[in-house]
Amino acid sequence: MKGSIEIFDLVAQAVVEAELVDEVTTDDFLVTQLEWRPVVVEATRELVRLRAHDLVPGHFHWDWTRKAAQLELLAVSFIAIRCAGSLQGLMKIETAGHECRLPEQAGKPLVYIDYLETAPWNVKSLMKALDRPTRYGGVGSRLIEAAVRRSLAEEFRGRVGLHSLPTSERFYIEACGMTPVGRDPAKQNLLWCEFTPEQAEAFLTKGAP
Amino acid sequence: MNEKRTMTLNLTEQEMTVLDQLCAKKDLTKTALMRQALRLYQMVDARLARGERLFFEDEQKKDKAELMVL
Repeated sequence: MKGSIEIFDLVAQAVVEAELVDEVTTDDFLVTQLEWRPVVVEATRELVRLRAHDLVPGHFHWDWTRKAAQLELLAVSFIAIRCAGSLQGLMKIETAGHECRLPEQAGKPLVYIDYLETAPWNVKSLMKALDRPTRYGGVGSRLIEAAVRRSLAEEFRGRVGLHSLPTSERFYIEACGMTPVGRDPAKQNLLWCEFTPEQAEAFLTKGAP
Repeated sequence: MNEKRTMTLNLTEQEMTVLDQLCAKKDLTKTALMRQALRLYQMVDARLARGERLFFEDEQKKDKAELMVL
């Protein structure tokens, strides 16, 4: 699947066309290790030096190449956003084995967002630490939107769930409109957030930030 | 790559009843439910092939049982 989407070029202050793809390859994982990770680590070091511990990204140690074996699994999909010849965001979703936890939809299947990462040059807090301009806005939102659309295609009615890293909680709750259900002791006490069909529809209708 | 193909599935009355019940409970059509089952089966099979084991655990009863998958 390939589709055209729009993200915002923060440097040129203009909407630009990007490509949403679900045919991700091992090479894409290598790109994240070779191009993204050094920048994330550099920014993390700077944030630690500045004692801005609350801004230190919880994903600085992620290694997408370790997920290459999962490319063959039916229950796992990887979705990427490409723009200007570069990978701008990457997400891993699972479409089986996860259920809703909100009482009104408990037990119903959902699309589980296992990993979602935007390229470091698209993360304001990281670029601020490195005193560099942030490149594109809206990449994370477009990936969430893709997860909701996949949920609709799977007959899950837009239900989506995820464990949020502490630095992303406000984004999922306030910007996306997900419900914070509770901390999950089985998953490093991360906050479980969930979309109901109504919230998912509202997210798609209002347009992601 | 995502082109869909059609197949006929023959089930017993009892199997069809269970399928209907699960579809109602999970809010899914039969096709979506069978797709879910296939994905789960493949995922479990892949992990077992890697040497992992599958358990069901009841925290209250302190009961843990390994599920054998054929």
